[in-house]
Amino acid sequence: MSLLQVRDVSKTYGSGRAAVAALDGVTFSVETGSMLAILGPSGSGKTTLLSIIAGLLQPSSGEIVIDGDPIHLRSSRTAAAYRREKIGLVFQDYHLIPYLSAVENLLLMPRLAGRVSAEHREKARGLLGEFGLEKRAKHMPSELSGGERQRVAIARALMNDPEIMLVDEPTANLDTERGTQVVTMLGEHVRGRAMTCLMVTHDGRMAEGADRILRLIDGRVAESL
Amino acid sequence: MLALSEILHSKLKFALIALAIGLIVALTMTLSAMSEGLVTGMTGAKGNLDADAVVFQGDTYLNLERSLLTAEEVERVRAADGVAEAYGVGHIFISVDAPAKAFDTRAFGLEGDFEQLPIVEGTGGMPTDGEAIVDETARADGIEVGDTLALTPIDRELTVIGFTENRRYVMAPVFYVNLKTYEDLRVASMFGAMAETTDAELPSATHVTDAVDGSVSVVAVKLEPGVTVDDLAQTLGGEFDVVTPDEAALAGNGMPVMVLAVNGIQVVSFVIGALVIGVFFYITTLHKTGQIAAVKALGASNAFVYRQLLAQILVLVTLGALIGTGLALGAGAGMPSTMAFDPRLDRWAVTLGLVYLMAFVGSLFSLRSILRIDPATALDHAEH
Repeated sequence: MSLLQVRDVSKTYGSGRAAVAALDGVTFSVETGSMLAILGPSGSGKTTLLSIIAGLLQPSSGEIVIDGDPIHLRSSRTAAAYRREKIGLVFQDYHLIPYLSAVENLLLMPRLAGRVSAEHREKARGLLGEFGLEKRAKHMPSELSGGERQRVAIARALMNDPEIMLVDEPTANLDTERGTQVVTMLGEHVRGRAMTCLMVTHDGRMAEGADRILRLIDGRVAESL
Repeated sequence: MLALSEILHSKLKFALIALAIGLIVALTMTLSAMSEGLVTGMTGAKGNLDADAVVFQGDTYLNLERSLLTAEEVERVRAADGVAEAYGVGHIFISVDAPAKAFDTRAFGLEGDFEQLPIVEGTGGMPTDGEAIVDETARADGIEVGDTLALTPIDRELTVIGFTENRRYVMAPVFYVNLKTYEDLRVASMFGAMAETTDAELPSATHVTDAVDGSVSVVAVKLEPGVTVDDLAQTLGGEFDVVTPDEAALAGNGMPVMVLAVNGIQVVSFVIGALVIGVFFYITTLHKTGQIAAVKALGASNAFVYRQLLAQILVLVTLGALIGTGLALGAGAGMPSTMAFDPRLDRWAVTLGLVYLMAFVGSLFSLRSILRIDPATALDHAEH
């Protein structure tokens, strides 16, 4: 069953002669429990697509339907609630809160939802353990390596048991070995939890870790493998 | 709480912000105390009269120096409907040959109610003839309780029996004397030593003394319950001007203009304080644009982000208020007693309330910025 359906989505920045088409009639779907890599060069529209699926941007036309829910029709307020409850977002630059320790960064997610319980703390420590970071739980982001930060960011995205993980260039700031480790870990967690994952990358080697690859060029789906 | 975590993580940065807020609080509090001190110094003796109303001679524009009520007029006021108690208050210029230096000031003759003077040293109650209770700022001129001071050029003396507080007039310490002493000083001021030098002039002096007997500058009135100042003014008619002690205090000696200037200084300090505090938090918010975008992208509402900012403002302004109050008290303690500095707790409470309000208003600049931060920028890295 398709959890995520992207139907004929286009996005144009600007208007008139200055208009730039970032996405042009993109259509695809993703099954529950699978990992899709969106591969493409810089400027191909990967991040715009991710932003639209996350409800951060409105498409100029087309539909985004997640589990029967038309996300593109949501207001910014309900889109925020949707991200908080259903989406796990991982940024290229990690965006860990610099004044919170690794475990506190994970606890940010339940904090955004209203309250942090003992169960949340236990879960956060468990997740850090799964990513090999149990001894780094109390370390601040500035005390972690790039790979560790990225793993904390992924663990944070898993804290709210999301239906969909949206991962933006997770290996862009890592060397090949660490990048491969991170993608492998991500794949294991996604499949182990039966969730859906969209990973944006410009690195074909990293995309090979996914179940499917969608190649974007100039805002269009050039290839679906 | 994210706000507290951030403060604890960047202690130096936030300590400096709290210090800056503290300096603003200290500035506004000090200006408030100095403004209040200036007003108290100019008018304390009038404004603190124990009365509901002060009755002036009509058409003297509430000018204590010009108002003059005869004994008969005092009795008319005392007998008026709605008057529970009344006592005359006389005003006279005097020059005091104090140990440190001679200075010009005023003597207030009170017909009664000396209990209204808070005694900070010496004895209170009604002074006998030739005695005075003096505002404590006279200490700065070397005056002590028990001193007998020569008044020039009228060849009279006053013995200080006690010090009171907040009873200055036109920035000089007031000498409170009984009405008989006041009358004596008044006659002496009018004639100097003339009456004692030439026999031929004695009848004139006696005549004047008789005329002065029982006359005062104003009458302080306590009203019966339910009677207003306007009621009394209507009862007494146009020959008298009737106002509250506060209105009396703020009249004459250029007070309306001075109060306007003092209020202007305070308003300007508040406005600048509001802008500075607002700008502090605005800059702090601007520095965190990327972080706020990321938190919003993760699902934080604008309300959540704004609550963190408000919590941070609350903590920092409270720290700033404590620092500022301490600095203002320290500044006050280091000032000479004659300095216009009157730290009134109610005014400072209002000042602190306004500082919190300023911070809140300032936070609205940041709220505008928070609302405008696009969470999509958290994913933006020159990629479309």
